Amino acid sequence: MKPFSRLNSDSLYIIVVLAPIVLLIALFIYYPALDTLGQSTTNRNLRIRRPPKQIGLDNYVKLLEDDEFWEVTGRSFLVVGLTLPLEMAVAFGIALLLNQRFPGRGVVRTLAILPWMLPGVVNGFLWGWLLNGEYGALNGFLYQFGLISEYQYWLRAPESQILWVAIVQTWTRYAFPTIILLAGLQSIPDDLFDSAKVDGANALARVRFITIPLLLPSFGIALVVEFIAAFQIFDVVWTLTAGSSAGGAMNPFTKTLMLYNYELVFRDLRVGLGAALSYIILLMSLAVGVIFVMRVYNQGVQEA
Amino acid sequence: MGLRGQERLRLAVIYVCCAVVLIWALAPIYWVAVSSISTRQELYARPYKIWFPTQPTLASYQTIFTQGAKFRDGGFSPTADLMSSGLRNSVIISVASGAIVTLLATGAGYAFARMRFRGRNFIFLLIMLMLPLPIWVSLIALFFLMTRLQLLDTLLGLVLIFVTLLLPLAVWMMTTFVRDIPQEIQDAARVDGAGRWRLVYSIILPLARPGMVAVFLVAMLSTWNNFLIPLIFTRTDDSQPLTIVLTLFIGQYEVAWEDMSAAAVVTMLPPFLMALFFQRYLVRGLTMGAVK
Repeated sequence: MKPFSRLNSDSLYIIVVLAPIVLLIALFIYYPALDTLGQSTTNRNLRIRRPPKQIGLDNYVKLLEDDEFWEVTGRSFLVVGLTLPLEMAVAFGIALLLNQRFPGRGVVRTLAILPWMLPGVVNGFLWGWLLNGEYGALNGFLYQFGLISEYQYWLRAPESQILWVAIVQTWTRYAFPTIILLAGLQSIPDDLFDSAKVDGANALARVRFITIPLLLPSFGIALVVEFIAAFQIFDVVWTLTAGSSAGGAMNPFTKTLMLYNYELVFRDLRVGLGAALSYIILLMSLAVGVIFVMRVYNQGVQEA
Repeated sequence: MGLRGQERLRLAVIYVCCAVVLIWALAPIYWVAVSSISTRQELYARPYKIWFPTQPTLASYQTIFTQGAKFRDGGFSPTADLMSSGLRNSVIISVASGAIVTLLATGAGYAFARMRFRGRNFIFLLIMLMLPLPIWVSLIALFFLMTRLQLLDTLLGLVLIFVTLLLPLAVWMMTTFVRDIPQEIQDAARVDGAGRWRLVYSIILPLARPGMVAVFLVAMLSTWNNFLIPLIFTRTDDSQPLTIVLTLFIGQYEVAWEDMSAAAVVTMLPPFLMALFFQRYLVRGLTMGAVK
């Protein structure tokens, strides 16, 4: 009697705790994902009053033949390409610093990773104000110290807009790779460095031949996560350079894939085309995503 | 120069580096805080900037919360109403999403960590696969689904979406947390004849409390900071949180940087305080176990 009733209470427990989760995920994630896939083969456009028609893969073909699509895609990879090296360099520097022993290290660490925890739209706003051409603090600072002779419009040229997007993205996210690299550094045994010192390796050689090789796995995780974050950049661009809070046109010079997708669906109301774009983006980030999920999955389920 | 001198030099170099890092990390935050308590004359002074206001004032905060005049023509809600409704909506969705997802994830975390059942790995993978999924794939059709369910522009709709989106992170955190609770404690309870419910309620819950606090805080922070979801699923001050209100202000106040700064400070204050006081909890959750 006893084992039977226990089995029963176990099944009941599993159903009660997992049913709401499975239901939510099925209804709000996987069903819409399939629905979007279905819509990507229609010409649904909310501006035009007509029942949507099946048009096969036309949307995909249209996007792949569209110059704007390639421009936006290239820009997204440019943002990733500018952000990742900058971010890794900043993170590695700060991690090396925080790995030193000194009084006050805890406080410095706490303050150094603050920007990561603030809302992305606020970060974009902060920097937009800092870089403001007329009253911005950067101009004020550089002018006061005689580094510029007149105020600059930092966000005027299209190329500098992209550069600042990468810098602000770096500012928003560098804390994550810093923490990962710091944890990696702290797991390197001290005697490795001591014996290298005895062998006469200077500080630079020790970083080059001990620290960096041993940190490669940490760099790997950080790069994967930060690739996804930079590739899907949205909030920061919105308030820094998108220049479109009240339904106006979107700044074309910093339009990355996610902003383009938002524009297609929610501004232009070309639902079918936008749906196709979302699946092209999915395919582009799939490779990196699979690596990430396998790692998390292995840790969560298989190590028991 | 002896050892003491060398050590002193090392510390000096370190503290100079720390200063550089802290300026990089905090200067933009400092500047928006200063802007929000400056008078416009000082803030717009050119070419010389005043790095701390000579007459600090809270007038901008008073303006954004009490005056309704400075809105753009075209039917926008008055500033004061937007600010207080935004604050209310942000608090409600953050706390509700955090509480609900903590509850769901704790129950599920125990099941994944300690029980063997059919479909266990499949369901876990189904949850974790959401992590790398570019959210747009779901959002487009979800928008029409929410419209049909009449959940568009409602707090309930936002909470349901946030809870769902937070599930992978929360379930993962609680699964690993429960697994770290010593098995022997549970075995002892099983021998005493406790069923699953009693075991979870009286043994696991008290021991899992730090994990639950971490999940709650991370969920609250992520919800508070989110912009994309409310951008798509809200329309009016019935449900627009502060992140949306802030972007409306950027359009509304064409040049009132001191007022916009005050709005930005209000928007980032809760995450800022959480990052100062609960950082240990947040880091564990936000790095998803990449750091033990």
